Amino acid sequence: MVDALHLLQAAADTTGAYRDFPWIGSRAAVWIAAEIHLMFAAFVLGVPIFAVVAEAIGIFGKDQRYDRLSKEFTRLLLIAYSATALWGATLTFLLATLYPKFFAYLLSIFAPSVWVYGAIFFFESFTLYLYYYGWDRWKYGRAKIVHWCLGILLNIWGTTVMFIADSWLTYMMTPPRDITPETSPANIKIWHAILNHTWMPINIHRLIGNVVFGGAIVGAYASYRFLASRTDEERAHYDWMGYVGNFIAMSALIVLPFAGYWLGREIYQYDQSLGITMMGGFMSWLWVIQAFLIAVLFLAGNYYLWVGMGRIPGAERYRPYTKWLLVVLVLGALVWGTPHTMIADSRELAAMGGSHHPLLGALGVMSAKNTAVNLMILATFLSFLLYRRANIRQVVPWAKTGTRIQAAMFVIAAAIVLFFGIRGYFVEAIVRIGYSVYQVGAVLACIVFVTLIDVLMARGAQSLGAIQWGKMPPRSQYALFILAVTFTWLMGLMGFARSGIRQHWHVYGVLQDMTPYAATPALGYAAIMISTCVLIFLSLVGFIFWLGGLAEKSTFVPSTVEAPHVGH
Amino acid sequence: MWATNLRIIGVVLGTLALYTLIANKIPQVQSDVPRALTLGANVTPEQLVSAGDQLYHGAGGCTACHGLGTRAPNLLTDEKGQGPIGARCGKREAGKDCKAYLHESLASPRAYVVAGYEPIMPEMGRILSPQQLWALVAFLESNGGTVDVSASDIPSSTTSTTSTSSTPSAGISGGSTDPMAIIRGAGCTGCHKINGEGGAIGPELTHVGSRLSANLIRESILTPDAKIAKGFEKFKGIMPKTFGNQLTAAQLEALVQFLVSHK
Repeated sequence: MVDALHLLQAAADTTGAYRDFPWIGSRAAVWIAAEIHLMFAAFVLGVPIFAVVAEAIGIFGKDQRYDRLSKEFTRLLLIAYSATALWGATLTFLLATLYPKFFAYLLSIFAPSVWVYGAIFFFESFTLYLYYYGWDRWKYGRAKIVHWCLGILLNIWGTTVMFIADSWLTYMMTPPRDITPETSPANIKIWHAILNHTWMPINIHRLIGNVVFGGAIVGAYASYRFLASRTDEERAHYDWMGYVGNFIAMSALIVLPFAGYWLGREIYQYDQSLGITMMGGFMSWLWVIQAFLIAVLFLAGNYYLWVGMGRIPGAERYRPYTKWLLVVLVLGALVWGTPHTMIADSRELAAMGGSHHPLLGALGVMSAKNTAVNLMILATFLSFLLYRRANIRQVVPWAKTGTRIQAAMFVIAAAIVLFFGIRGYFVEAIVRIGYSVYQVGAVLACIVFVTLIDVLMARGAQSLGAIQWGKMPPRSQYALFILAVTFTWLMGLMGFARSGIRQHWHVYGVLQDMTPYAATPALGYAAIMISTCVLIFLSLVGFIFWLGGLAEKSTFVPSTVEAPHVGH
Repeated sequence: MWATNLRIIGVVLGTLALYTLIANKIPQVQSDVPRALTLGANVTPEQLVSAGDQLYHGAGGCTACHGLGTRAPNLLTDEKGQGPIGARCGKREAGKDCKAYLHESLASPRAYVVAGYEPIMPEMGRILSPQQLWALVAFLESNGGTVDVSASDIPSSTTSTTSTSSTPSAGISGGSTDPMAIIRGAGCTGCHKINGEGGAIGPELTHVGSRLSANLIRESILTPDAKIAKGFEKFKGIMPKTFGNQLTAAQLEALVQFLVSHK
């Protein structure tokens, strides 16, 4: 027996650390499996948040349409869960067979968390079944509240599973400093490995990102159903659903950069060279692409709102403002996308006449970029505000004063953003970094207080006419598709940035990648991989939506009740 | 409905194609795995320049400061009308040709500090091997000047990629135990202010003795990230962890006693 064990041990020792995958190579195989698994995971984690919030609005706002909306998406989750598990299993098998030693290394540290992960996945699945199949049984009174609590429990399980998986990948990025290549994995305490520098920032960033993603996919689903609708009532229902999805996606998107800023700061604090690789090294062009994608998101999101104002009686009062909002968004996007600290060769530097472009270099610095993005957020918030109050006339006696205070808040917030943006050019870098806090603070304060005043002002407001849901031109629905594709692509791009800064390391500074694929590819190759993953994912999601339509009829019920705005 | 489906597929594919195209149109930079630098006796200037180019933009970390226009002089482009570094290096220090000046500026960067800049550059001989230093000299010369580094300049004894100095240290500033010579030689004033001299990236050292004991000062020099001064958390990781190898025991003690006396 002992001899047999020795033989096995010897066999294990002589087994190669790596195997290759036919045709596409081991890196591409793991990349595709991991990326699509992550996209499905984001979908099955984001949509339950969306569903539980919609159910709550249905319960506490006594609006059955939200309840039906929530159920419709929970039904899609059932199939999406299977897809998530299938891709997760594929990823595990690929890692175990293509990177056996690296996989064994991770398992020797994280084995207990893998067991917990599996157990919670069981709980999560059965909670989902209870949540969905119990929908009609626990429909009224206290039972409905219990049902809603099941939705919350589903989210707790899902978030816990994500937190566990995040600990593995963040350990690969930022292993604790006292762990070296000589440290035996058997001597690494699991909590020490989990509580690494970027674990919590990634958790929070992904949590918010999942809400954005869930909202975007809901919007795309609704837009497809809108375009396929045969009756006005059906069209009205899916128009409203698309609006809700877009509202949630854009609202969460506004918060996402702050979580990203925290994550970036933690990466810099962990290791300056990781931060420099990410922002000023070979990945610097990636941020220009990111700026372009976010500009598309802002423009498409705002465009959808502006077109949507066409179905709101009274909105014509605000139409003249939209062109100025467009100007702010376009100028902001141009500034945000201005390249700055790029790796350039001698010839490029000589052609440019310096390390920075003599004219555009001034717009590529953080002072200009922070100013641009904050003004874009303010412009988008103003679009929402105009949309919200388009079909009402406030009747409170202080309505005019309230509007003036709101306008003043916008002006003050914009002035603060501009003031610190300009002043940033005349102070040292360390002082300049601190200015972004004042800029963000001014914008957030404006959003909070202006919304508060608006809600109070809308009390008992006179309606100028019901929103004519469904009276949207088809082009508006394609904007929702572009949003969903862009969000998904952006997720793939940021995943490449996060994973790529490790460069030729499996575990940064601890375990080196010795495969022929150790070099981190350029953005062009990464873009092809990302587009491939997005295409596979969207095709499968389309299939799931189609299956959902086959299994049951839509929860759409013809109704004459006017659907309110979100937040009214 | 088929027309609608086709339009949707068109929008999705068109969007993906646009993003993929843009990402392929920008400059393509791949992050390669660092290779060991082995320069034989027959090394050519072209090979040296190529190796230096990779070091400059990679493991050398030069681009973190040079080329930003604020922290350190531009090297690959014009600096205040004097041209790139290869064109101006021979006129910097009297009696030193370009090759000698560039090697000195890498190995002992505080020997000559360009006016208008702080002495923040680390001694690159403690980070890079002698071969790598000469490869960098050749690359810098090639930017506006003539490469005259040859195989005879390069010591042939070692071929390691990075020398984290396992050989006994002769100490900073020639082994001097004058505390201020050590502080300037080690580049402390690039980040720390003492007696009105130096930067503000690290805590001021003028009254450091009133805050820290001798043991804590010693620990801060040898393992700078062990405890980070309040308000300087953002700069964790910046201070080199190599002073234990660079300072002699006599220098370390002289420095600690000097700082602890600054109440």
